[in-house]
Amino acid sequence: MDGKVKKQKQHQQKHSGPKAEKKKLKKQNGSTEEDERKRNPKAFAVQSAVRMAKTFHRAQDIKTKKHHVPVVDRTPLEPPPIVIVVVGPPKVGKSTLIRCLIKNFTRQKLTDICGPVTIVSGKKRRLTFMECNNDINSMIDLAKVADLVLMLIDASFGFEMETFEFLNICQVHGFPRIMGVLTHLDAFKNNKTLRKTKKNLKHRFWTEVYQGAKLFYLSGMVYGEYQNQEVKNLGRFISVMKFRPLVWQTSHPYILADRIEDLTDPERLRTDPKCDRTVSLYGYLRGTHLKNKGQVHIPGVGDFQMSDVNFLPDPCPLPGTQKKRALNEKERLLYAPMAGVGGVVYDKDAVYIDLPANHVKQLQEEVRPTTELVQSLIETHVTLDAKMAASKVSLFSGSAGLDPTDISEQSGVQEGLREIHVWDAHTQTQRRKVVFTGLEEEEDDVSGSSSDEDDDGSDQENQEEEDDLSTFLKEVRDKSEKATKGSTPPVKKRKLEEMQGEEEVIAEAPAFADSEDELERGEADSEGEGEAERAGDSGHCSKESEEDSDDEEDGDEDDESMEEEIGADDSDEEEEQGTFKWKEGLQQKASAAFLRHQEAAPNLRKLVYGSVVEAEDSEEEEEELGGLFRVNRPQKSKKVQADALDCSHFNPDISHNWELEEMLNSIRDCFVTGQWEEGQDAATLLKEDEELYGDFEDLETGKVHKGTTGEQDQAEVKMDDEEVQKNKRLEKKRRLKERFDTEYDDGDATYFDDLKEEMQKQAELNRAEFEDMDDESRVQYEGFRPGMYVRLEISSLPCEFVTNFDPHYPVIIGGLGTSEGNVGYLQMRLKKHRWYERILKTRDPLILSLGWRRFQTIPLYHIEDHNGRHRLLKYTPQHMHCGASIWGPITPQGTGFLAVQSVSGVKANFRIAATGVVLDLDKSVTIVKKLKLIGYPYKIFQNTCFIKGMFNTVLEVAKFEGASIRTVSGVRGQIKKALSTPPGAFRATFEDRLLMSDIVFLRSWYPVSIPQLYNPVTSLLLPVGQKDSWSGMRTVGQLKHDLGVRNKPSIDSLYKPITRAPRHFNPLHIPKELQKALPFKSKPKLLQPKGKVPRDLKRASVIREPHERKVAELLRALSTVHHYKKKVAQRAHHAKHKEFLQQKEKDEEAKMKRMKDARKKLYRIMGQKDQKKQRSSLKGTPQDD
Amino acid sequence: MASHGLTYEGCNFLRQRLVLSALSGKRVKIKNIRSKDDEPGLRDFEANFIRLLDKLTNGSTIEINQTGTVLVYQPGLLYGGTVEHDCNPQRSIGYYLEALLMLGPFMKSPLKATLRGVTNDLTDPTVDLLKSTALPVMKKFGIDGEGFDIKVRTSWYSRGMAPGGGGEVVFTCPVRKTVRPVQLTDPGKIKRIRGVAYSVRVSPQMGNRIVESARGILNQFLPDIYIYTDHMKGANSGKSPGFGLTLVAETLNGYFLSAEMLSTPQGQGDPILPEDLGRNCAKLLLEEIYRGGCVDSSNQSLALLLMTLGQQDVSKVLLGPLSPYTIEFLRHIRDFFQIMFKIEVQKPLEDERKGGDKVLMTCVGVGYSNISKTLK
Repeated sequence: MDGKVKKQKQHQQKHSGPKAEKKKLKKQNGSTEEDERKRNPKAFAVQSAVRMAKTFHRAQDIKTKKHHVPVVDRTPLEPPPIVIVVVGPPKVGKSTLIRCLIKNFTRQKLTDICGPVTIVSGKKRRLTFMECNNDINSMIDLAKVADLVLMLIDASFGFEMETFEFLNICQVHGFPRIMGVLTHLDAFKNNKTLRKTKKNLKHRFWTEVYQGAKLFYLSGMVYGEYQNQEVKNLGRFISVMKFRPLVWQTSHPYILADRIEDLTDPERLRTDPKCDRTVSLYGYLRGTHLKNKGQVHIPGVGDFQMSDVNFLPDPCPLPGTQKKRALNEKERLLYAPMAGVGGVVYDKDAVYIDLPANHVKQLQEEVRPTTELVQSLIETHVTLDAKMAASKVSLFSGSAGLDPTDISEQSGVQEGLREIHVWDAHTQTQRRKVVFTGLEEEEDDVSGSSSDEDDDGSDQENQEEEDDLSTFLKEVRDKSEKATKGSTPPVKKRKLEEMQGEEEVIAEAPAFADSEDELERGEADSEGEGEAERAGDSGHCSKESEEDSDDEEDGDEDDESMEEEIGADDSDEEEEQGTFKWKEGLQQKASAAFLRHQEAAPNLRKLVYGSVVEAEDSEEEEEELGGLFRVNRPQKSKKVQADALDCSHFNPDISHNWELEEMLNSIRDCFVTGQWEEGQDAATLLKEDEELYGDFEDLETGKVHKGTTGEQDQAEVKMDDEEVQKNKRLEKKRRLKERFDTEYDDGDATYFDDLKEEMQKQAELNRAEFEDMDDESRVQYEGFRPGMYVRLEISSLPCEFVTNFDPHYPVIIGGLGTSEGNVGYLQMRLKKHRWYERILKTRDPLILSLGWRRFQTIPLYHIEDHNGRHRLLKYTPQHMHCGASIWGPITPQGTGFLAVQSVSGVKANFRIAATGVVLDLDKSVTIVKKLKLIGYPYKIFQNTCFIKGMFNTVLEVAKFEGASIRTVSGVRGQIKKALSTPPGAFRATFEDRLLMSDIVFLRSWYPVSIPQLYNPVTSLLLPVGQKDSWSGMRTVGQLKHDLGVRNKPSIDSLYKPITRAPRHFNPLHIPKELQKALPFKSKPKLLQPKGKVPRDLKRASVIREPHERKVAELLRALSTVHHYKKKVAQRAHHAKHKEFLQQKEKDEEAKMKRMKDARKKLYRIMGQKDQKKQRSSLKGTPQDD
Repeated sequence: MASHGLTYEGCNFLRQRLVLSALSGKRVKIKNIRSKDDEPGLRDFEANFIRLLDKLTNGSTIEINQTGTVLVYQPGLLYGGTVEHDCNPQRSIGYYLEALLMLGPFMKSPLKATLRGVTNDLTDPTVDLLKSTALPVMKKFGIDGEGFDIKVRTSWYSRGMAPGGGGEVVFTCPVRKTVRPVQLTDPGKIKRIRGVAYSVRVSPQMGNRIVESARGILNQFLPDIYIYTDHMKGANSGKSPGFGLTLVAETLNGYFLSAEMLSTPQGQGDPILPEDLGRNCAKLLLEEIYRGGCVDSSNQSLALLLMTLGQQDVSKVLLGPLSPYTIEFLRHIRDFFQIMFKIEVQKPLEDERKGGDKVLMTCVGVGYSNISKTLK
């Protein structure tokens, strides 16, 4: 022990000898783990049948719990980009992570993350990144659209409230995939604490998300970026992730807008800067099919009717179907118009190339974006071209002339496109000419064809729609028109003169130069500087478009007079147009056509719906009828038909004479007795069966039976060609396989499997049904399908939306289902969040996030009594569910919601006040609250009583006749009839006599009405920088606090020291009759307390004389002595007796001993005698023998 | 917030518009109802229908102007439950029942509607017809279950012929949250024909005479024909005399095609002989078979509505030629639900003897869910 710590002897493993042998053996055996059961069968034997049943049951439960209800897979072939929302508290590294991921996928650097960024990450996957800022509004909105959430957590700090709030928001609105990412791990110096923290955070994260949820670690920064390898790994995780469809998302269409343009007429803006704006919003459609003209909700703004929807070429298309593993550099696209990147921006009918000179230099160090731009431009050009060609064939084959009114109106941007391919033709892109296309088409083939195509793209649009760009271009065109008028040969009529002007413009510059012009425009737009420019425009376009088509031209100051003529022409022509001819006598046509067995079969669709363009045409006629949906019925037939008999009978065709044999023959095959199809005819079926099962070998006789059909078949085959034979063989095989399948597979097919198969079939059908159609007509049948890049136009957005636009806040356009745009009463199940500190009070305004919406409303809390009555509660229960009824937007049952008390500012506490689910929708409320009416008796007869103070009029009493009432002491009664005076008094009977001091109650239930407050949270309309400061209606408590109002409490509710008055009891009064019947001793007379005992009955006390006292003293002394002597004597006697007893016992013992000895001796002698006797007898016998 | 309404003109297709409005929650305004007529405004039977709709819903507002030429209907929620209604004898119960069939599955609570009035008349599909054809159609869409039935009540009176009426019908319908998509593309061959020949307040021989003549024609095609005779006497027979025949052809795949014919109401037009009636009705059935399809002509709109209200999946139905009523219904569906049907005409092959052209209707449902139904 000399200071040195003694080193412990190290363990030395044996390599030879018995121990090593043993270990080796064990190792060999141990490797066969499955032997366990064999080796130790007892351990695996059934110990208890009950327990085994239980474990089995449990295992099955767990298994079935894993089953989800199978849903039809409605994901489109080309799905929209996956929305990845990056969430986290501030300063945690969200932007850095997005930047790193973008760099990882596209090799581009994006400094400013602003709005959604869409990238192509793989051959089949695109991603949209969106950063969620630290505002509960954004968190709520983004949780609804997220597919994947990257939840950033600052490991050096731990979890923050925002993380938990976001998780809870996610839980309510369907749980998207959540992946945690730990950052700031380099802050840990100590490795052990790092490990510990990681573990702790992981486990906490698991309890919130699910056990085993992926948590990523970003260990440290290198030059302000995360480590490449880690980001790459994260990217890989993202690109292989699978998603489960969420209910709300799959049943509603929605768009995360990545580009926004203000289309309002600059002139209107100039005159009234606060006017409602017409805005077009762009983005990928997600969720489900979007119907045109539907209603949408923009969270943070409100409900709107879409005035138009159309789809655009994909700005970020997936690479083609080349068979290679990795993406080409050129295919690594990036699209983020809000961040000023993305280069190519597509409009309805134009492509803008955004080439901000300074931008490129500053942001994009590489030249790549430019090449990419060109590349994609070329690409789109081709696709559009192809599309146009395709659409031309399919859409216009059957329909009459369409009027390309809208095309030219919509924009001059079209030229941008058209120039590219048909630019040599005198393109009729002048806007308002399109009304006359019927003519144009005939006269001018080349242009007609091109304009047509544009037309069908835009045919569903309203005429109101307007492009700000087009206004600009128009101005240019008008100017040039003036200059060039007459110089070019007139194409056809005067009307077309304007077009020539435009054509001139086009002719002046090559295609790309022109597109660059637009490009500059686009740039100006995106920078928001275009407004001034636009204000300078004449702005006539939008004005016109709002007016009727005839008036349209009037707006042009240049050639007003001409235009008027044209206008007149217009209307005339319109009537004469071929397009309208079908309309005439439509109804007659309907009946006639059908009675003729629908000979005009291809036109059936037109007969029913009209050609789709008509929808807009009829608009002007029915403008005053309001609403966006119009009856598409021609005027004339309308008059004829409108008041006809409403009857579903379909009268038979008179031309059919069912007496004729040929008529009868025409339906012979509809009956089982008729001829069957080839595949179903009984005879052929039998034959086929023979083919299948004809060959068999009789095993007993060894005889081989051959199907007889072989030869016949051959004979047939000779006649048929190869094809038929092959088909037959295939058919045969298929049938055999089918039969085999049904025989062997059916056994273990469960209900679940059947259901899944059914869903699978439906999904296939859904995909296949419209697959071969072109998009234009497909859109009409199914609506816009998810995955399309669409442009929505909304005509009356508040101006604050545009002026206060901040790309950091998500703009979501959520489609609403049928009747989800209405308001009504909602009954919900609600539970106060267990982390929220306070309980909620009835009638305090609350902000709910329900469906797409965020709104403030006034809930009433209630609970269901055992008899189904909904009783109002003043406060939510602490730890229990309760009902809540609100006035709000109709949302399907089963939709989850969450409630917060305010969305403004950041508070230290947990902000989510409650969560719940919608149970029921109604137009009336059934909540009641308890109401106790109090009255006082003022006259008491036996059991009858007159009661006042409960009601005020006779009428009120009449309403409550027969109602049961009760006193405080529990005496029950009934209201009988009103009394004339005092008003409101009534006669009532009770089961017992009341006292004047009794109070009478009438317990009743009073229906409560819900305050009709529905106040959407318009956080997106607030100025930039104040978007998180929305505040709505205040609670009464807040109001009082803010205004410094203090209620004067009612005196009665104040606390006072309790002073009890001494109770005074009245004497018991027994009626005389009763007294008579009482037993004698219980008669009250006798029970009365006795008075004083009379003196004569009292005994006198004895007072002794001194002598007597002495004598008594002596006697007492003597007796004491005597007592003592007696006691001593007794004690002595006792001792003596004890001694005697002991002596006696001794003697007895001695005596017993003596006797015992004697007996012993005696027995020994007897025993010896016996022995002797026995021995002698034994001896004697041999002697006898 | 309130959604934009739709505006129509004229009283025709009033039922369609109101029913679709109730289902879609869109306000509807109907103007110029018989505005040019000598008696402008709504008729009694229409007012009666609106009253029935009001009984079924909660919170709907109906505004009618003084002359009755303008009707504004803001639909409420469909409530259902037990409803009793005296239908106007101007139209038969079929007129009301057609609307109830469309609304029935989307109520808050299962519907039990007792309708009194004319059970059989010439203008509308009779109760017998709807019972035998509409119910199987709805069953294909998954609307099925306990108590899904139309009953001609037999307690104390049942059939009521036009014009007197006096019949009673009980329609019970379960509630569904969603309607499932269907593919009804193969009608199959007709395997049997059934029918009812009914007669009230006339000689019981009438029924037999009808059966005789109808069989005479139908037996050329099929041996499996059975036509019941249903004679009502006394209190059960309503207030007016009459007789009629309903024929239903059932296919192998369980689809039903039907035809019916009635005697002219008492005191209106020439009387018809039962033999003629039987023959004509049989011919009507042949006509219906000629038209073909999986759904017969009077239920086309019902089938199309249920397709529209289905899940967001593709539904297909093969129909005969579209009736004018159906065509208008298709337009209304587009107005209310923005659903367009893909309409394809299937021409019969050259050598096929299966009647006229068929129409294959395809659509993607709106993904409608019954928002009235309470979640427990």
